[in-house]
Amino acid sequence: MQEEPLTCSATLCAALPLGGRRDLARETTVDQARALDRFLAGIERRALRIARIALRDHAEAQDAVQDAMIRLVRSYGRHPEDQWRPLFYRILRNRITDHQRRQKVRSAVMAWWPGRDAEEEAQDPVESAADPDGGPDHVLEGEQLLERIEEVLAGLSGRQREAFLLRNFEGLDVAQTAVAMGCSEGSVKTHYFRALQALQQVLGELK
Amino acid sequence: MTDERMRQLERMSRAAFDESVESLDAATRSRLARARAAALEELQHRRMAWSSTWLPAGAAAAAALVAVMLWQGEEGGPPATEPALAALEDLDIVAGGEDLAMFDEDEEFYAWAADEMSDGVG
Repeated sequence: MQEEPLTCSATLCAALPLGGRRDLARETTVDQARALDRFLAGIERRALRIARIALRDHAEAQDAVQDAMIRLVRSYGRHPEDQWRPLFYRILRNRITDHQRRQKVRSAVMAWWPGRDAEEEAQDPVESAADPDGGPDHVLEGEQLLERIEEVLAGLSGRQREAFLLRNFEGLDVAQTAVAMGCSEGSVKTHYFRALQALQQVLGELK
Repeated sequence: MTDERMRQLERMSRAAFDESVESLDAATRSRLARARAAALEELQHRRMAWSSTWLPAGAAAAAALVAVMLWQGEEGGPPATEPALAALEDLDIVAGGEDLAMFDEDEEFYAWAADEMSDGVG
């Protein structure tokens, strides 16, 4: 059975002598820290993978997850536990979106920057090489399948990608995903379905 | 796309994702644990920040409240009743640290005062 978190209600605190109130406040903080630790430990790896897929940059994804953790503790640590997951992903999503906007601006500026190296313009030879395993119809598994999914997700709209990552990978329900994405539940369903359709088209027949 | 095919796609992609989460390397896991510890330090900082912000403010508010009460007592407040005044005078004596023994020693004074009071009443 899960341990009930200790809370310091006004009535309970008032009934205690000052020293007792101080002890209770300290215990409340300790319990809160434990609950947050449990929550973050349970979510951090999945959050990192999701951020990595969205940002396509491991170091940036680590920074984004750390920022989201700090922000959650600082701003929402006293909210009820069942609100933490959608709130955490809301924060992480905002952080990812900010980074993507900055990258877009940076790319736009760099496009005007004189003397760009011709090598930067060249296509990645690995990206442009033919797939020896036979293309989308090939039955993929594990890491290979995930890589292919990541490629498809990278080509989706931001909203469709978010809906898929949060609904399918993180397992949030429609209402929680709506909170995390800051949109309606109907919008979540639409974006999620479109993402599934796109994946199905690229991945081909699944066996 | 049929529902069954959709479910299959969901299951397969989720399984691939779960596998990738489980296979995160030790260095990444360690970095995440340190990030978590750094985040939880915020709780301690917030508590200290609350104390340093609100304790001086609370003390100042309490001092201001006492000042207002004293000022109202002198200026605009309702006139104090006699028992209340007497109680305040008693408090002044106790707080003033006067030598209470002198009241016992001056028996003649008390006798005279009693006579004076009874004359006044009668």
